[in-house]
Amino acid sequence: MNFQSVIAVLHQFWGDLGCLIAQPYDIEKGAGTKNPHTFLRALGPEPWAVAYVEPCRRPTDGRYGENPNRFQYYYQYQVLIKPSPDNIQEIYLDSLRALEIRPEDHDVRFVEDNWEDATVGAWGTGWEVWLDGMEITQFTYFQQCGGIDCRPVSIEITYGLERLAMYLQEVEAITKIQWTDNIAYGDVHLQGEIEQCTYNFEASNPELLFTLFNLYEQEAQQLADRGLVLPTLDYVLKCSHTFNLLDARGVIAVTERTRYIARIRSLARKIAQLYVQQRETLGFPLLNVKGGVEANV
Amino acid sequence: MPSFLLEVGTEELPADFVAGAIHQWRLRIPQSLQEHSLSASSIDVYGTPRRLAIVIQGLPDKQPDREEEIKGPPAQAAFKDGQPTKAATGFARKQGVALEALEIRATDKGDFVFIQQSFPGRPTAELLTELVPQWITGLEGKRLMRWGDGDLRFARPLVWLITLLDDAVLSVELENGSKTLKSDRFSLGHRVLSPGKVIVTHPNNYVDILQRAFVEVNPQQRQNKIQEQIQAAAQKVNGSTPIYPDLLTEVTNLVEFPSAVVGNFDEEFLNLPAEVITTVMVTQQRYFPVFKSNNFEELLPYFITISNGDPAKSDIIAAGNARVIRARLADGQFFYKTDLSRPLESYLPQLETVTFQEELGSVRDKVARVSKVAELICAQLQLPKDNSNLIQRAALLCKADLVTQIVYEFPELQGVMGQKYALASGEPEAVATAIFEHYLPRSASDRLPRTITGQVVGLADRLDTLVSIFGLGMIPTGSSDPFALRRAANAIINITWSANLQINLQRLLEQVATDFVAAHPTQLNLLHQLQEFFLQRLRSQLQEEMIDYDLVNAVVGDNDSDYKIRALQDLLDVRDRAFFLQSIRNNGELEKVYDTVNRSTRLAAQGDLNTTELHPQLINQALFQKSSEQAFYDALVQLEPKTIAARASRDYQQLITALAEIAPKVSSFFDGADSVLVMDSDPEIRRNRLNLLGLLRNHARVLADFGAIVKN
Repeated sequence: MNFQSVIAVLHQFWGDLGCLIAQPYDIEKGAGTKNPHTFLRALGPEPWAVAYVEPCRRPTDGRYGENPNRFQYYYQYQVLIKPSPDNIQEIYLDSLRALEIRPEDHDVRFVEDNWEDATVGAWGTGWEVWLDGMEITQFTYFQQCGGIDCRPVSIEITYGLERLAMYLQEVEAITKIQWTDNIAYGDVHLQGEIEQCTYNFEASNPELLFTLFNLYEQEAQQLADRGLVLPTLDYVLKCSHTFNLLDARGVIAVTERTRYIARIRSLARKIAQLYVQQRETLGFPLLNVKGGVEANV
Repeated sequence: MPSFLLEVGTEELPADFVAGAIHQWRLRIPQSLQEHSLSASSIDVYGTPRRLAIVIQGLPDKQPDREEEIKGPPAQAAFKDGQPTKAATGFARKQGVALEALEIRATDKGDFVFIQQSFPGRPTAELLTELVPQWITGLEGKRLMRWGDGDLRFARPLVWLITLLDDAVLSVELENGSKTLKSDRFSLGHRVLSPGKVIVTHPNNYVDILQRAFVEVNPQQRQNKIQEQIQAAAQKVNGSTPIYPDLLTEVTNLVEFPSAVVGNFDEEFLNLPAEVITTVMVTQQRYFPVFKSNNFEELLPYFITISNGDPAKSDIIAAGNARVIRARLADGQFFYKTDLSRPLESYLPQLETVTFQEELGSVRDKVARVSKVAELICAQLQLPKDNSNLIQRAALLCKADLVTQIVYEFPELQGVMGQKYALASGEPEAVATAIFEHYLPRSASDRLPRTITGQVVGLADRLDTLVSIFGLGMIPTGSSDPFALRRAANAIINITWSANLQINLQRLLEQVATDFVAAHPTQLNLLHQLQEFFLQRLRSQLQEEMIDYDLVNAVVGDNDSDYKIRALQDLLDVRDRAFFLQSIRNNGELEKVYDTVNRSTRLAAQGDLNTTELHPQLINQALFQKSSEQAFYDALVQLEPKTIAARASRDYQQLITALAEIAPKVSSFFDGADSVLVMDSDPEIRRNRLNLLGLLRNHARVLADFGAIVKN
C-alpha cells in the first residue's frame, strides 16, 4: 500500500464513520494537536469529530536525512472525537483492518503513555499502540487544554504515517517509502530535509529570530486584547515555532528557557479562555448538530 | 455459603496500576468485609491489563443479628412515684419504642433506664451492592482520568462490570455523565484469541471460564508462566537470560495470555556496547536479552519478547519485532558512530544548553562548581599533583556525555557512555573510570566507586548539588525529595567510610556554602541547615550499620554541639567510635566503666569545668580531706598521657582499659568508708571535687558522651 493510499484509506474510514475530513492548517507547528481543529475544538461542551493529515516540524529532530528513521518534517494522521466514544479501541482496530493489518495476525498492545505539552498547558492520559513491538499510534484522552478542564473529554488518535507506511511496505528508511508506485518519499522530501536541517542548525539568523519572537508575541497580545481568537492562535504558533528554531541553534540560555515557555503558555491559556467565551456567546451552535460519530458507531 | 464475583472490565490499564490496585484490594477488601461483619472463607484478587477481579467464597447469607443495649436517663429522673416523667417518654419516643419496653438496671453510677434493641443483620447481597462502587472508586493511582461526558475517575475507562452472587447478578450501576454502566454476567475474553462475550455462570468458575477464553487472570500464575517460557526460549537458542524483576513485573501486567517469542538480529550489531543493546531491549522494547552463558557477559544476537498475540502467529510476530529491534539498533549504531566522531571534550560547550536547575544555571555551570569543590577535597586529602590533575580532568568531563546522542536517547546510560567515549578520545584510564564511577552508588544496593578519582568527583558532584539546592531553600520534607538529596548525603558518608578518606566535611560545607552565598545571597542559615541534615543522615547510616540508638547519640551528640562538629570534622573517627562502643557493649567492657563514668558525668554537669580540659593541674590538692580524693587525683595523673595517646592514635581500647583500671578508685570516692560528699557546703571544696569528676568525664568524652548511653 503506497503512502497516499494509506492516507486515502484512513480518510475513507474515518469519513464513513462521520468524521469531518479537514485539511492541514497552514502554519508551522510541532504536532497535529496545535491545529485549531484539535486545540480549540477540544474545549467546551460542543461535540466534534474530525480527521486530517498534519505536517509537523520539529527542528531539533533533524538529522540531514542521514538517520533512516528520523526527519524534522513529517506527517501525522490525526483524529479527534468528542465526547470519547465507548468502543474507540475497537473502532481503531477496525481502522488497522482497513489498512490490511489484521490484529488477529499480530501482537497489538495498548501500552500506557501519557502526554503533556507545557507550552499549551495541556495534558492527557492514553497509550502508545504497539504492533509487533513497533509504536504506530498515540492515543490520548484530553484532560486539560490551555489550562482548562476538558468537559466532555475528547479522544485524540495520532497515527505516525511514515512508521505505518514503512511497516506496510517493509522498507527500512523513511526515504524508501513509496509515495506512489513510482515516486519515493525521498524523491519528494530528501533535498528539502537536508536544506531545512542546514537552515535550522546553521543558516538561520538567531538575532532575527529573537526579534521575530518578540514581534509575534506583541502581535498575539494585541490580537488577544481585541478578542480575535484565530489570529491570536496564528501568532502564538509562530512564536512557538520560532522558539523551536532558536532551540535548534542552542542559543536559548537555560535560565531563559522556562521564561520563553511561560510566555507562550500564558498566551495559549488566553486563547483557550477567549475561545470558550466566544462559543458561549454564540450559544454553542454545534450542541444541537445531529449525526456526529456517536450516530455511526 | 454464597460466593461473590466482582469483575471490572476496562480499556488497557497502566501496568503499575494493575499491580497497585491488586495490592490495595488485597489489603482493603478483608477490612471492608470485616467492618460490615461479613465473614469469608477466602478472598482472591486478580488482575490483567483489561480487568480487575475479586472472588470471595464462603460468605454468609446475611450479617449476624445484633443486640444492643441503649442507656437512657437515670431511673430517679425517669420515674416519679412509679409514673414516667418527660425524660422517660422523651427517651422512648426518640428510640421508637413503647414505654413498656423501658427497663431499670443497676450500674456503678446508680439505676438507669435501658432498652434492649435488636438489629437484624442485613442481607449480604444488599451490602455488597453498596460496597462494590466504593471498592471501585476507592482505588488510588498516579494519574486518574475522566472519559466521555462524565465525572467518574479511574485509571482508564471502565467498559463492563460483573457482580455475581452465586449464579445471580447483583444489580450495581455506575453513572458517568449521560452513560450508565450496568452490571451483568458478561465478560470479554482475550482480544484476538477469544473475541466476543464470555458468560460467567458462577463466581467459583470464574478463573476457569476466563482461562478457556485465553485469559490468565491470576498475576502470579501469569508471571510463573512467563518465567518458564523465557528460560525455555533462551535454552532453545543455547543461551540464558538473567532475571529482570522490574521488567518481569511490568510485562506480566501487559499481557493476558503470555507466549514467549524469540527473534534475532544481525550479529554486526553486537559491536555496539552491550549496555546500549540491553537498554534498547529492556527499556524501549520490554524484551529480555539473551546471553551466551550464565555469567551474562557476552550477548547473543537474540531477543525474547512476551507476546499477547496468537501463539500460532509467532513467526509473523517475531519477524515484526525483529524489524523494530533492527531499526532501533541501527539508530543506536548511528548515534554511537556520530558520538565517536568527536572527542568527548568537544561536547563541553553544549552543556551550556542543558539546564541543571533554573536558578543554578546550566550543567556547564555545575561542572565548573564541581571542579572547584574537587580541588578543595584534593587539598584536604593532600593528594599528589598527578592525582589531582586527573581528578580535575575527570570533573571537567564527568557530564560531557549528557549531550551525546546515545545518552540523549537513553538517559540511564549516563556515565557508562562517558567512560567509553573518554577512552576512545584517548583520555587516561583513571579519568574514564571516574566518569562512570562518580555516579556510584546509583541505588542503595549499588557498588561504590573504587578509584580515588571516581570517589573525589562523586563527592564533589554531590556536595555541590546538596549545598546549591539547600541554598535555594529546597530542603527535603517527608516523602518529597525531588533531587534525591538524602541519597546524595548517604553516598557521601558511605564513600568516605568505604575508602577511608580523611576529609573534614565540616570545613568543606563551610567553604562550599560560603561560595554559594556569595553568588546567591540568602536569608537562610545555610551552614546550620546542612550540618543538621548531614547529622541526621549520619545517624541513620550508623543505625543501618547496626549501632544501637543510644550509642549513636553518644558519638554524634545528643544536642551537644561539640560532638556534632567533631563528627562532621571527622567522619571516620565518628564511625570508629561508634563501632568501638558497640563492640565493648557486646563484650561487656562497657558495663565495667559505665556506672562510675556515667555517675561522674551527671554530677560534673553541676560544675563549670570546660569539657575539653584533661590536665589535673587545676586541682588543688591542699583541699583534699579524704585519701580517696588523693587516689582519684593520682589516677587522673596517670590517665592523662593514656587518653592523649588514645586520642592521637584513635586506639580507644587503651582509653577504656585505663578507665576500667581507675574505676575502683572512683567508686571509693563515691561510696564506702572513705567516700566524700561531693556537694560539700564549702564552695571551694565542692568545686574541687566537681573538677575531679569533670576531668574524668572529659577523659571519657574523648570516646563518647556517656550521659547519652542507656544502662543495659
